[in-house]
Amino acid sequence: MIPWAVLALAQLVWFVVDHRTWWLHAVAAVATAVGAVVFVVVVPLWRFRVHRWDVSPDAVYTRSGWLVQERRIAPISRVQTVDTERGPLDRLFGLANVTVTTASSAGAVRIVALDSDVADRVVAQLTDIAAIGGEDAT
Amino acid sequence: MSTEAEWSRLSARMLLVHPVHEVLRQIPVLVGTVVLGSATGNPMYAVAVLVVTVGIGLARWFTTSYRIGAGEVQLRRGILQRKVLSLPRNRIRSVSTDARLLHRLLGLTVVRVSTGQEAKGDAAFALDAVVAAEAPRLRAVLLAESLAPDVEQAQTSGRLLARWQPSWLRYSPLSFTGLAMIAAAIGLAYQLGAGAALQDSRIEQSGAAVADRWGVAVTVAAATVVVLVASVILSVLQSLLSYANLDLRRDADVLHLRHGLLRVREHTFDMRRLRGGTLREPLLVRLFGGARLDAVMTGVDGAGEASMLLPPCPKSTAETVLAELIARPDAVSGELRRHGPAATRRRWTRALALPAVAAVALLIAPAPNWAPVAWALLTVCCALLAFDRSRSLGHRVGDGWLVARTGSLQRRRDCVAAPGIIGWTVRQTLMQRRAGVATLIAATAAGVKHYQVIDVPVDSAWTIAAEASPWVAGSKWAADFG
Repeated sequence: MIPWAVLALAQLVWFVVDHRTWWLHAVAAVATAVGAVVFVVVVPLWRFRVHRWDVSPDAVYTRSGWLVQERRIAPISRVQTVDTERGPLDRLFGLANVTVTTASSAGAVRIVALDSDVADRVVAQLTDIAAIGGEDAT
Repeated sequence: MSTEAEWSRLSARMLLVHPVHEVLRQIPVLVGTVVLGSATGNPMYAVAVLVVTVGIGLARWFTTSYRIGAGEVQLRRGILQRKVLSLPRNRIRSVSTDARLLHRLLGLTVVRVSTGQEAKGDAAFALDAVVAAEAPRLRAVLLAESLAPDVEQAQTSGRLLARWQPSWLRYSPLSFTGLAMIAAAIGLAYQLGAGAALQDSRIEQSGAAVADRWGVAVTVAAATVVVLVASVILSVLQSLLSYANLDLRRDADVLHLRHGLLRVREHTFDMRRLRGGTLREPLLVRLFGGARLDAVMTGVDGAGEASMLLPPCPKSTAETVLAELIARPDAVSGELRRHGPAATRRRWTRALALPAVAAVALLIAPAPNWAPVAWALLTVCCALLAFDRSRSLGHRVGDGWLVARTGSLQRRRDCVAAPGIIGWTVRQTLMQRRAGVATLIAATAAGVKHYQVIDVPVDSAWTIAAEASPWVAGSKWAADFG
């Protein structure tokens, strides 16, 4: 939403500075409006329908993406670290992101936008079952 | 922290090498000062800068020292900004040595210690340089913690796996190293002002005269031939200098690789960290029946020089060596399972997209006469590419190994040990979802960290993963499709 607001503002400035080619402005405005609607309404709904996560006694699962969708699984026995991270926007809405890393840089599992208390519970659960510091296949 | 070990210095012969390297590194500045000196009529600038540069080179030796303690090795360096690098000894994954020409003339060698973490520039632990005779002892001491029982044997010769042969040179003329070197040389020449010097010079005038007499097309063709011949010669030379005398040996758990004619490089790999190997067959090497071999190993960067086991060599040699290393001949050369019609269709549509766009452009826009011929050539090339890519595609799973083959211009066959796989991803783009295929990605701590099986039918993706890693079998995603 924020990038689109910035883009709209930039177009407004452009229009004020230079208003000779009105049709170009119209095309740009329509494109921005359509893009904003798609990215503010459609994509979040789509993502919400796709995104899933689960922690079982053996593994962590996630499903994410919208155009490119990914299902990822990592065994808990190979987990190296569990990180929680809250950005300013996340804090505003009471959310948290949990990243579970393994010894492979390609194998990190990231669960985005969890409710804070759920995130805390997941982290506690993961650190409980994961024998962190054990066998990590390096 | 260990206090018992003494700080020791690098070889005193580096007092000769450091100033030379420093001067070579500062050549642009020196050239600048010489120009400045001749412009102002005061040559003292150049002399002063030269003295300072040599002084810095000498100071490097006096400010660098290292020590090997009980728990860690430390390297102290830096002239103005002091820096101490410490590595825990049980984290050392590999030790390699490297001797450039100047080092070799003085009997020196650089010892590099790697922990497998990304370490570049200042963060890299390199003893530059110690006396060559000292290197085997240092290597043994450094690896003692992680490779204890084998160090003594490591000094003995071991079993020979492969040795360089002059016939391997036939794979090198068709690489792009020569062209890259020519381009770099031309770029450097222009930066040093050769372009301006050529302007209106005798060379340019005679060049223009030749172009007038023979016509532009012939001149361009002749120039191309000259560049190509030069590139072939340079490629062969480069390959000869860097790979001649290559010899790959194995002692139980240690793999020794040594190569180079002028600049000698030695790598030691810990076999217990080997998780497989990659046979790479670039198109131009494959045409001549060659292949190269990379190690898939934890603690060794998967792409590039560090993991190379064999340069372009006969494919049978590469396969034999890999089979020997991983003790699984069927994974190395066994039949692969194909990915089915959907994957083949996707290869064709993707390859023919460019000719299709070009055809539309040809139809609407007016084009010169040769355009249709060029288009036909392009289409044939793309079709061949699609055919080859779909033929390459395949995988094989079972007995604890995952094997995947993809690509045409850069065909590769990745053999990865399943116990080393610590995560799976199944990725589908919009088009892949419509075609009912998916890309399966195995995450591992070794090599390039992720190995892909491209465009497998979506319902078999998790089956493959479950076959390789039993822990996937009972999982949620596998159950969804199982």
